[in-house]
Amino acid sequence: MNLDTAFWIALFFSTLRQTTPLLLTALGGMFSERSGVVNIALEGIILFGALTAAVVVERLEYALGPGPHPWLPWVGVLSAMAVGGLVAWVHAVVSLKYRADQIISATAINLLALGAPSLVLTYFYGNATNSKEVVNRLPLIGPEGFALSPLVYLAFLLVPLSWWVLFKTPFGLRLRAVGEHPEAADTLGVNVYRMRYIGVVLSGILAGLAGAYLAIGFLNQFVRGMSAGMGFISLAAMIFGKWHPLGILFSTLLFGFASALAIQLQGTEILPAVLVQAFPYVVTVLVLAGFMGKSRPPAAVGKPYEK
Amino acid sequence: MLTDERRLGVLVALGGGALFLLWYLAPWAVPHRLFGGEGVLLSPFGHHLPQGSLPPGYQDGWLLGVFYPSLAWLALTLVLAWTPKPARKLYLLGILGLGLFLLTYLLFQASVAQVNAGAERPILRRYSLGLGSYATLAFSLYLLLLARLFSPGGLAFLVRLRGVVVPLFSLLLASLLGGVIVAVMKKAPGEAQSLREALMLKLDLITYTYQLLYSPLVNPSGFLQSLLLATPLIFTGLAVALGFRGGLFNIGAPGQLILGAIAAMLVGVYLPGPRWLVLPLAILAAALAGGLWGALPGWLKARFGAHEVINTIMLNYIAASLFLFLISANEYKFFGRTLYLPFKYPGYEARSHEIRPEARIPHWTELVAPGGELSFALPLALLLGLLGYFLTRKSLGHRVLLGLLGGAVGYVMGGLLPGPAVSFGPDLTSVRLNGAFLLALLALFFFHFYVFRTVGGYELRAMGLAPKAAEYGGVLAGRKLVLIMFLAGALAGLAATHYVLGGGIDEYRLKQALPYSVGFDGIAVALMGQNTPLGVGLAAWLFGILLTGGLQVNLQLGISRELVAVLQALIVLFIAAGGFLPRYFTDPLRAAEVEVREEARKREERGEAR
Repeated sequence: MNLDTAFWIALFFSTLRQTTPLLLTALGGMFSERSGVVNIALEGIILFGALTAAVVVERLEYALGPGPHPWLPWVGVLSAMAVGGLVAWVHAVVSLKYRADQIISATAINLLALGAPSLVLTYFYGNATNSKEVVNRLPLIGPEGFALSPLVYLAFLLVPLSWWVLFKTPFGLRLRAVGEHPEAADTLGVNVYRMRYIGVVLSGILAGLAGAYLAIGFLNQFVRGMSAGMGFISLAAMIFGKWHPLGILFSTLLFGFASALAIQLQGTEILPAVLVQAFPYVVTVLVLAGFMGKSRPPAAVGKPYEK
Repeated sequence: MLTDERRLGVLVALGGGALFLLWYLAPWAVPHRLFGGEGVLLSPFGHHLPQGSLPPGYQDGWLLGVFYPSLAWLALTLVLAWTPKPARKLYLLGILGLGLFLLTYLLFQASVAQVNAGAERPILRRYSLGLGSYATLAFSLYLLLLARLFSPGGLAFLVRLRGVVVPLFSLLLASLLGGVIVAVMKKAPGEAQSLREALMLKLDLITYTYQLLYSPLVNPSGFLQSLLLATPLIFTGLAVALGFRGGLFNIGAPGQLILGAIAAMLVGVYLPGPRWLVLPLAILAAALAGGLWGALPGWLKARFGAHEVINTIMLNYIAASLFLFLISANEYKFFGRTLYLPFKYPGYEARSHEIRPEARIPHWTELVAPGGELSFALPLALLLGLLGYFLTRKSLGHRVLLGLLGGAVGYVMGGLLPGPAVSFGPDLTSVRLNGAFLLALLALFFFHFYVFRTVGGYELRAMGLAPKAAEYGGVLAGRKLVLIMFLAGALAGLAATHYVLGGGIDEYRLKQALPYSVGFDGIAVALMGQNTPLGVGLAAWLFGILLTGGLQVNLQLGISRELVAVLQALIVLFIAAGGFLPRYFTDPLRAAEVEVREEARKREERGEAR
């Protein structure tokens, strides 16, 4: 058993890549839950984002003909964010306006994300499991051999940015207020519903971005079920990170490391791949059981608000 | 603000307008259809004929014979809706409409039979009525509903039935949206000359899609197949419903099913012994393993406050890994050392060894007609069991005991009675429906008795409605929580008996093809069935029908079977939103308010009449 430097460097970069979608989604989940809405639909929204990015880019490539189009992947990214926001908006309408159980409404969206892609893929490509490969992936930025997708940098930049938004701006204060004590916030003139809509849609936009990263950054196509529980793991990371951007950074790095380790160990004779794949999930269960510290959710999370 | 009677008039007018539009746009009947869905579309406003003419020998005169009376009926309805006291008239008109639909159906069948009579192979195939005729049926039902709604106490009547109204309305909305999806996703077969024809083709495509989806209802092998697919859905639906009743959301049914399947395989393959011992043990093992896998997140919640939703989802992934680990290879490397596992059957495919014959759940033909002779054992057991239960007026325990005793006596007696010889065609015997379906029915009974007839079930429901109050009332909340998750897991684990012991996945083995995602379908089943045993049974059957029909949709129209999954997801979403109906349909307090108000009004009106 020889774990040389190359192994560790590969593991490090793999960790960054694996952390990116988790970090984006977990930050999104943080905005949603800070406003008082549980959004376990993020898993499905990642899939919708990934599907949108892959299909939009592939269709545009088909329409525009061959040749590199450096702006094309960004169209894919933007449309994935838009679709992510739209799907999250559906969740917000159903659970805020129609006072549905937030977990059931989100589960419906997750179920939709299992079936709907097959219909779209069958329509465009005649098969139900994956899209055609795209040529114009997101570019890589960085020195030769250590280049990373721009979304990786973006995800890590979003940590201080969302910290600033959440704790240093009036918007952030209002968002936290409607999640902790909506009645009080309402008395002070904050529009509870509007803040919650914003929180949920923001989470969808970020999860859509994570999906775009998976489809045209990490891979070059949409594959059925490619989110593989990332949305749920992100939520666990968010809980473990105590609904705080810095905490979330560290917890998603932990999960990213577990996934990266699983990938790096595949094909070696150290542990069987099928078992190693379960690593991140086991870590999630352990984390949620509070073996690594207790955390307190926003007080009004999951409860519908009535004026 | 409109008065009630004006509103009724407007609603009837709107419905009537929609009906007329559908009459104009949609085909009334399709006497012949090709495999790919292209049909001869008949409409009183002009036919769409792909071959340029009607099928040889077909007479379409009946269509106008139905059309003019229908038109008169619609006109009469629109006028009478504005006369005073319209409700009673609408009842009569609704019934008249049902009669018109029946007439349409009979005349159409006669017209087809006339051509097909005497021919060796039927000339006209895949014939059916079209959306235009079905619209008549729908409008009649709509009239009856409006009539009930606008007679005294009508709203209270609907609100009292909200457990049925909300799921059915959600199903209707999801179906409408599903129709739009089909129309967008799929090019209608056939050439359209005008906009009206293009719409006609699309509407026919949607109608045909739904006709195929529900076709298992009228076709014997499809019917059995729908029961087959309903079997695991009943188990997983109950597994989710039990959690909901206890205030828990069990998304872990897939994992619990996998563990049940592994346990059933281990006992079924490796435990030697006679049938009466091994089969029950294998079934129990499935329940126990699923139950323990379910109890784990329950315990994590009770002990550490970890939310069961994410934990059960994670345990699904872990169970899937474990499952693959056991059956996808015989040897694994651990830190350079080799571990040998005996479970995988040699060959390319990931599957276990065969279940021993003693541990197999019998195929439905062996239950209904063992040895080719129709057996009365099961029907008689059911009859005597129900008699034993319902004809006694003692404590619950006594009645259940008497019911079971009656069942046993009926089974033995029925087994002794000689039965007539029967034989089934290959299309029926090839359906792998098995005794697990009976287990599923037993599970429905168990759910009913446990949840609604025992102290434990009362505590469970109290936990679901008001956990703090339940705890104050003396329920040991933590222990109860673990128990609920154990029972839910056990129900999900039992679903595996159908797949592994009953040969539901084509072989009597545990295979990689184990469709454990039916655990997720259980969510839709539980919500559609409103967490009641009868509802879960019916909802599971409905989805069984749709899944069976989905195969036909895929074969004939090339639309992905996932259409059914999308419909399911939409149903869950709409039920969660209370069907977008007014709040008194979802909120029990507001429902009670409506009922009281309506009661008072009814009394007032009666008083005036007197």
